[in-house]
Amino acid sequence: MMFARQRKSLLCLFAMCLGLLPVKTVSAETTDSKIMSLGISVTETVYALNQQHRLVGRDTSSTYPPDVLEVKDVGYIRALAPEGVLSVAPDLIIAEEGAGPRETLDILKDASVEYVEVPNEPTASGIVEQILIVGRALGVEGDAQALADDVAARLADAIAAADAQPQNRKRVLFVLSTRGGKITAGGAGTSADGIIAMAGGVNAIGDVEGWKQLADEAVAVAAPDVILMMDRGGDHGIDNEGLFNMPSIMTTPAAQSKSVIRMNPQLLLGFGPRTPDAVEKLSEALYDPAS
Amino acid sequence: MASDAVVHLADLGRPKDRLQFALKMHVYLCILLICVSLASLTVGATGITPWDMAAALLRGEAPEQMASIVLFDIRLPRLFMGIVVGAALAVSGAVMQGLFRNPLADPGIVGVSAGAGLGAILAIVLGGLLPVWLAEATGMYLVPFAAFVGGWGTTILLYAVSTRGGQTSVATMLLAGIALGALAGAVGGLLAYAADDRQLRELTLWGLGSLAGASWTKVTVTVPFILLALGVAMTLGRGLNGLALGEATAAHIGIRVQRMKNTAILTVAAATGAAVAATGGIGFIGIVVPHLLRLATGPDHRALLLNSALLGASILLIADMISRVIIAPAEMPIGIVTAFLGSPVFLWILLRNRGAVGF
Amino acid sequence: MLLAKNLMVTLGASQILHDVSITAAPGEFTCIVGPNGSGKTTTLKALTGDVRYDGHITINNNDLAYLKPWELATIRGVLPQTSVLAFPFTVIEVVRIGLMTGADAQDGCLALQSLARVGLAHYADRFYQELSGGEQQRVQLARVLAQIPHAVGEDGPRWLFLDEPVSSLDIAHQLQIMSLAEQFARDGGGVIAVMHDLNLTAMFADQIILMANGRILQAGPPSVVLTDANLSQAYGCDVKVGMPPPAGIPYVLPHAARHTGLVATKS
Ligand SMILES: Nc1ncnc2c1ncn2[C@@H]1O[C@H](COP(=O)(O)OP(=O)(O)O)[C@@H](O)[C@H]1O
Ligand SMILES: [Mg+2]
Repeated sequence: MMFARQRKSLLCLFAMCLGLLPVKTVSAETTDSKIMSLGISVTETVYALNQQHRLVGRDTSSTYPPDVLEVKDVGYIRALAPEGVLSVAPDLIIAEEGAGPRETLDILKDASVEYVEVPNEPTASGIVEQILIVGRALGVEGDAQALADDVAARLADAIAAADAQPQNRKRVLFVLSTRGGKITAGGAGTSADGIIAMAGGVNAIGDVEGWKQLADEAVAVAAPDVILMMDRGGDHGIDNEGLFNMPSIMTTPAAQSKSVIRMNPQLLLGFGPRTPDAVEKLSEALYDPAS
Repeated sequence: MASDAVVHLADLGRPKDRLQFALKMHVYLCILLICVSLASLTVGATGITPWDMAAALLRGEAPEQMASIVLFDIRLPRLFMGIVVGAALAVSGAVMQGLFRNPLADPGIVGVSAGAGLGAILAIVLGGLLPVWLAEATGMYLVPFAAFVGGWGTTILLYAVSTRGGQTSVATMLLAGIALGALAGAVGGLLAYAADDRQLRELTLWGLGSLAGASWTKVTVTVPFILLALGVAMTLGRGLNGLALGEATAAHIGIRVQRMKNTAILTVAAATGAAVAATGGIGFIGIVVPHLLRLATGPDHRALLLNSALLGASILLIADMISRVIIAPAEMPIGIVTAFLGSPVFLWILLRNRGAVGF
Repeated sequence: MLLAKNLMVTLGASQILHDVSITAAPGEFTCIVGPNGSGKTTTLKALTGDVRYDGHITINNNDLAYLKPWELATIRGVLPQTSVLAFPFTVIEVVRIGLMTGADAQDGCLALQSLARVGLAHYADRFYQELSGGEQQRVQLARVLAQIPHAVGEDGPRWLFLDEPVSSLDIAHQLQIMSLAEQFARDGGGVIAVMHDLNLTAMFADQIILMANGRILQAGPPSVVLTDANLSQAYGCDVKVGMPPPAGIPYVLPHAARHTGLVATKS
């Protein structure tokens, strides 16, 4: 008896190795499923929709609001390890476009984890679309519609206010990194370009496509009135003196007027529910620095 | 006089036979590799183990889908990848050191990995420009093959630059390695400008060095390349021993030196290229593993090469386990772990060899 | 028989050997002498196939150019003027490297016996790199002897090519090694050695080849080659053969020393 059962199990193991045996599957329930959120905008939207109690995992870049730090971090959004993701046992993964690698996503698909990819276009309509998709994935379409309407309205107001300011448009250079004395900056199509436009500025290198390391002379020619930077440390954290003494920056109007704006990168480039605040803040910093 | 000799031989006893010990080491290292492999299948962020699954099966229960995916689609391909890549890196190191007659020669340090990486980058970025029939014919083999060609070209160049009349100048070799690494980096940077967003992402990822992307597809692409290279490498033991006495003496004792050198170079290029293409830059295995083994069992390449393969596989698996548990559920890039384990050993070798290396 | 006809060797831009022809018989000890840079080593390298040459070389009636490395390895051993070694091999391991391809590779004791023949059996487990220059040279000779352990094989005589085998040795070991080579010749093998010391050469050689400026000045038995005129011309200074120094100055000749076998047993 016993012997026969064991033999059956061994056969079972063998069959399973060959992938022949049907295996039990777990299906995600939409209402109270456990979710993993990958990407700043998605995570902030989950909070804005008050669904944070369902969060079981996040990527490293998702650090706002501070509460989210309690949630398990599964690593860099583009280099996810499949077992790490599975270990927090999400039923649903909502991820910004570009999460990966593909091998991991393939395995998650095999594991029947529901996967929703959310586009993250740095435009007003992109934000609305993003909120609606996240809301649908979470099963809270109604709240999402309300949030999207609210964000859209506030964003429109903020953009209108920025447009209405009476001064000349300032030329803004978003500096991502000054590593090795070389400036890497955001050109057309980047999230930095999007936020600068919304805040009533002009991207000083709007004629360059994408994120680019710039030649020193190209920076001088771009002649930015203001340098926009991220406020976190590391190699991004060059101090003002160091910045304005860089040969490429020294000749620019920004260096002459010592104009630099530092903002939180999640707020500035996240393109989520907080973007209206970002637009207001940036516009204020550009045109009304006193207040 | 012959009778003199016989008397004294009896007095002296048998000299130590390090080769016998090195051959026994094959067995010990096999056992180690088996243990590490089982551990590697057992350790992971989910806490799923093969033993639980086996127990469930013995109870006659159907396996959980999750458990079977974690064990068979995540950990098993990763195990295979870890074994072949670890073996490839260590054996490439040992062969390269034998070829250059220097314990500091390593594909990572002298720029062969950089060359292989450049090949891979070229394939990733410019692969789209290939005519359709060629792209279809090469398929997923394009990247490892390009990495192989890159590694091969670099090794030949390096050998030509740093070896004169069978003698290798270590300083020239290391400097040439720096130059080649810089060149590969520069061309890579240039290509990064041409790359679109998706390719750029692929490049960054690939540069991190990780076994996390090991899928069955990748395993089937990489394993044949590496096994072939390793199989050929195992025949080089005698030749590399002879080469330790210089090229002329190697020829005098019956070795076809030029042919052997060509084989060694191709082997290093294939093994390094396939490993680099599959997992990105993983350093120090190639220098640390053969060095430890030479200390333990002597420099005889007839045993050293297989021992390097076995120990290299075990050490990479251990590094991989560390990389995936230390900040679980996230993963540390494995290159960081091997650098932590390896760079002190590298410095130690430098210190011990200061005279010989000529610094 | 070893025959070399009209050898020409060019290294880099300059022609090093001009029309060198050599005949060496098995059973004989042939020594090549000449001043520094006269082409002795280059000649030996041509005979062992290390450098490209114009001309014709046969060894045991086989054209050198058509012999495969492993075929050559069974009929001749080569001791280079200087040897290098990468990696920390022990003495016995170095000798075994020479043994790997030899016909008698199966003989487990061969390596140790060869070491004993050069008087270094008690050094078997030492690291090669820790030996003195002379000891290293003797280990290399043991490696060659392990590769070619018998003076005559089934298909003909065996050959030893030795480039300055005793230059860095003390007088006792010089005699020991030269006796070894001489014995190899007496047993029917051929020995071709580049020599520095004219007294030792005169004592052991059956044939002396005197070289100068990449040419052979004279070849033949010692009494024919070692003359005042030949040596003065080759070395570019006045040389007198067979002249003892003025009374009162001590001089030591190898002829007067006798190899006692003691060196082989010292521990
Ligand atoms: N690789 C080389 N390239 C150019 N010239 C060389 C080379 N090797 C030796 N020579 C020259 O050939 C000549 C003969 O050298 P060699 O045969 O080594 O002399 P020796 O009789 O002292 O052994 C010397 O003048 C030497 O400078
Ligand atoms: Mg010489």
